[in-house]
Formats: sequence, C-alpha cells, structure tokens
Amino acid sequence: MSGVLLEATALDKSYGRIRVLRDVNLTIGAGESHVVIGPNGAGKTTLFKVLTGELFADGGAVRFEGQDVTRLPAHRRVHLGFGRTFQVAKVFPRLRVQDNLLVALEARVRRANPLGRVPKARADTFPEAIEALLNDTGFGQQREAIAGTLAYGDRKRLEMAMVLALEPAVMFLDEPTAGMSAAERQATVRLLQSVKRKRGLSMLMTEHDMAVVFGLADRISVLHYGQLIATGTPEEIRHNERVKEVYLGDGDEHA
Amino acid sequence: MQNTSFIGCGFRRDVLILAVVMGLALCVPGVLNRGLVFIAGMIWINAVFGLSFNLLFGLSGVLSFGQAMFFAAGAYATAVLTQHFALPLVPALLLSAVFGGALAALVGSVALRRSEGVYFAILTLAFAELIHLLIANTALLGRNDGLAGLVRPRLGIGSWQVDLAAGDNFYYFIVGACGLLILFIRWIVDTPFGRALQAVKQDPERAEFLGIPVRMHRLAIFVLAGATTAAAGALVAPWAQIVTPELAHWSNSTNPILYTLLCGSAYFWGPVLGAVVLSAVFYVTRTLVGMSDMVTGVLLLVVVVSLPGGILGLLARSTRREDKR
Repeated sequence: MSGVLLEATALDKSYGRIRVLRDVNLTIGAGESHVVIGPNGAGKTTLFKVLTGELFADGGAVRFEGQDVTRLPAHRRVHLGFGRTFQVAKVFPRLRVQDNLLVALEARVRRANPLGRVPKARADTFPEAIEALLNDTGFGQQREAIAGTLAYGDRKRLEMAMVLALEPAVMFLDEPTAGMSAAERQATVRLLQSVKRKRGLSMLMTEHDMAVVFGLADRISVLHYGQLIATGTPEEIRHNERVKEVYLGDGDEHA
Repeated sequence: MQNTSFIGCGFRRDVLILAVVMGLALCVPGVLNRGLVFIAGMIWINAVFGLSFNLLFGLSGVLSFGQAMFFAAGAYATAVLTQHFALPLVPALLLSAVFGGALAALVGSVALRRSEGVYFAILTLAFAELIHLLIANTALLGRNDGLAGLVRPRLGIGSWQVDLAAGDNFYYFIVGACGLLILFIRWIVDTPFGRALQAVKQDPERAEFLGIPVRMHRLAIFVLAGATTAAAGALVAPWAQIVTPELAHWSNSTNPILYTLLCGSAYFWGPVLGAVVLSAVFYVTRTLVGMSDMVTGVLLLVVVVSLPGGILGLLARSTRREDKR
C-alpha cells in the first residue's frame, strides 16, 4: 500500500441519544479496496454518510489527501475526487442512458458554478467518453433507453458508469451487489475488479455477500455496534476470533 | 423522443414553432378588434409568466406558490421607473427584471435555506402576501388604488423613434419582447445548467453526489425565474396602463400553476397553451358573473383527475397511438 488517501480519525456520530459511531478510525490507501462488514444496524451506512459528506460527524475528522474535509458538503468532496454509489442504485429515471452520463460529464467540468459553461472543445469529447464508459461497464446498445426502464442490474451498471465519468480517486460503494442475482453479482465483481485494475481506483465498500467481500477486499474492517472491532487482511479477518463470534459465525460456510 | 426529458421537442423545432406563432400573432391586430388585441397581449405576457413558473416546477421540481410577488415587483418597478423617474422603457424593463431577480435572491436564500417541497411552497406564499401588504400600504405605490393612468412611452434609438402609445405599436412590442423571453427560457432548458436542473428534480441526492450543488442550483433557477417573471410583469404596466396590489395577490400566483397543470408541466409549451386556453375560457364566460371561475375549476378538476399529463400529455399519447397503427 502506497500512502494513505483518506483518513478518518475518532469519528463519532449520534442520532439523538443513540450513538451510532464511536471512535471509528479508518484509512483507505491509494489503490486499495477496503471493505467494511458488520451486521445490520452496525453503523455501516452512517459511516458511509459521514465519510462522503451526506452527514457531518459530531466528533473526529475526515482527511482526504491531507486536506481536512470534515465539514465539507458532499458535492465539494465529489470535486476533490469522491465517487459514490447507493445501496439502491440511483440514476435519473426520466433521462436517457446517454443523458445520464452527459449530466455527470458536464457536472465534472462545471464543478460548483451553476452557470458554468462547458467549453465546446470539451463538449465535443463527450460522445466518445460516453461510448467508452458504456463499454467499460458492459452496456450494449442501450444508450437511447430511458434509464427508468432498465433492469435493476443495468441500473447499477449505469450508476457505476456515471460515477466513473467523474474520474474519482476514491469510490464509495454501498452494498454494490445488494438485490442482485448470482450471475449479476459475479458480473459486478468482475466489473469492479476490471475498473480497479484499469483505473487504479481506491474503493471503500460495504457488503454482506462474503464471496464478494473476499473476492475484492485488500483489507477488511469489521463494524459492530458503531465500533471497529477489527481491521486486517482477509486472511487475518477470517481467523479473528472476535469477528467469528459477532459476525462470521464459523466463517467457513461463507468463505 | 417523447418522455425522455422535460421537453421532447428539439431546440430548432421549438424555435421554429415560436417563429410561426409570433408571425401569426403579428397578424392579430389586422383581424381582431381592440379588446381582443388587448387580450392577445395579455396572453403573451401570461405565457411568459407560466413558462417562468414551469422553469421552477416542471424543469427543476421547485414548487412556488408566490410567483405573483415577482410579477407585481416587475410591474410596479416599471411603473415607478417610467413615471416617477422618467426612465426610457427598455432600461426600465431591464432594471425591473434585475429587481425581480434580486427579490428572488432574497426570498430564495431565506426560503431555500432549510426547506423543500411543500414547506418551501408555503414560505413563498407567505413572502408573496408580505409583498402584497407592503404594496397596499405604501403611499409611493398608491396603496390599495395602485398606480393608474400610466402612459405608454416612446421607444427611441437615436433618430429612430416609435410612439408606443400609437395604434397597436405596443402590442407588437409585447410580441417581440415576449418572443425573446420565451427564446431565452427555451435556451436555458438545453444548457448544461438546464440538464443539471432536470437531474436535481429527478434525484437530488444522486445529483449532489455527481458534484452538482443542489441548493445552489435551486436558488439560481429561482432567481432566474424571478427575473423572467418580473420581466413579464413589467410589460403589464404600460399595457394595462394601471398596476394594482392585486397583481401580488395569491390568486395571481395560482394563474401560472393553472396554465401549467392544465396543459402539462412536462412539456415546454404546456404553460403557453394553458395561458391561451384559460384566456379563451375567461373571454367566453366574461359576461356570466362567477362562471369563469367555475368553468376553470371544473376544467382543472377534469384534467388533473383524468389527464395526469395535461392536455399536451393526452395529445402526445394519441399521436403515439397513431404512430403504432
């Protein structure tokens, strides 16, 4: 692992009197796939929201490439290189597939300025970029399709393509295979592996499917009642007694 | 191509439609009487009013119940600037639009701060009532009586002078000005900004996580719509030659909503057609006291309940069915 890209220190978050995250410390190395696992209600989604700027932490700090982003709103973090997909894929349902990607490409150029223009020379490169993104994510001849009519697996793929259009440095994937069939799941793992290989992306993801987790992770962290109880390589996590006890069970049938 | 986005029609086709409609509108004074020419002018102004509202609602998913405040702001600003300060018409209209935009920036930065959806709508309604009361209690603005006897100014560039009070000159001026405003609004829709607004409407969270600052975009379109609404209102002052606090009344805020819902918020031309249809209803029922409100109400009820896409939605569906045969 070469250098730390994102570093969260002593994160705390409460909803009212319920403390959802306690003193969470976590890093993502450059080019690393880091998977956070844990039972439902462990605080995975909250951790995601705090890291990506959807929510602000009550305590602790998030640093990205050395810059403190703890109080930065989500769109500003995106400008720095954050990409995020959602548990239930979010696309713009009434736009065509290619216009979904166009919005993403334009957003990347325009950044925070609502009236920002897209230079013509730049706009001319978009059709090619859309083509490349569709190829990378395995879309066929569906660019004219209305996004809302796509099958769920394709919607996930489109969302991924939209985020890749931003050329992020780190990608946050919230249960990338949730709700998928076994075949779609395998396809997604292959897609993520190839994206990672091609683009050298860092990733942080949450996932329940252990085949996916162990297929993708360079490092695994285990969240339990808002606390990180273990961080390590897949091998270390597989044999960690505490993890077995609270989450993996015997572990063998998953792995 | 239908349903793919806000419009369905391409930019060039819409410009062509606009050109044809403007051409037809220029013939109106030749065939219709003075009263109907006045109504035709009001339809143009109301079409811009409706389109401005739909920039918010149909394009960006921002529902405002208080657009009349910007309409009134534009009307009063032009009245005051041309009568009290003797400013020439075009600068007065431009300043009125700027004033409407500034007012929208003020209202929007408060109302959009913490609220969305219906809360935002109610806040805009509250602001509009505030403006209504403010106008009705300001001596400079003529209190409840408004400002009457407004004189249509001359339009002059160097030695070229047109007396807008003469004949139907001001009607032609309205057609030209509204045509430009409609072109501008249509252009906005096709810009990256317009696409980002559609994205914000369809999924604000996804938009935010593509790096689109959602609140900033909502505020920007609110300001822009405030400016175009004020520009439409500004044309009313010299056209009707009177401005009253009624322009800021909540019932005037419902007008663009009615135009839009009647013919379809998903269609660029929806509010325009709505302005035409409702003006026709008002005209036909003008002698029957209270009848126009009833007809409007029943019409709207029928459309909203049985035609969710409005009249244009119905037309689009029936042409698609034709295509399939």
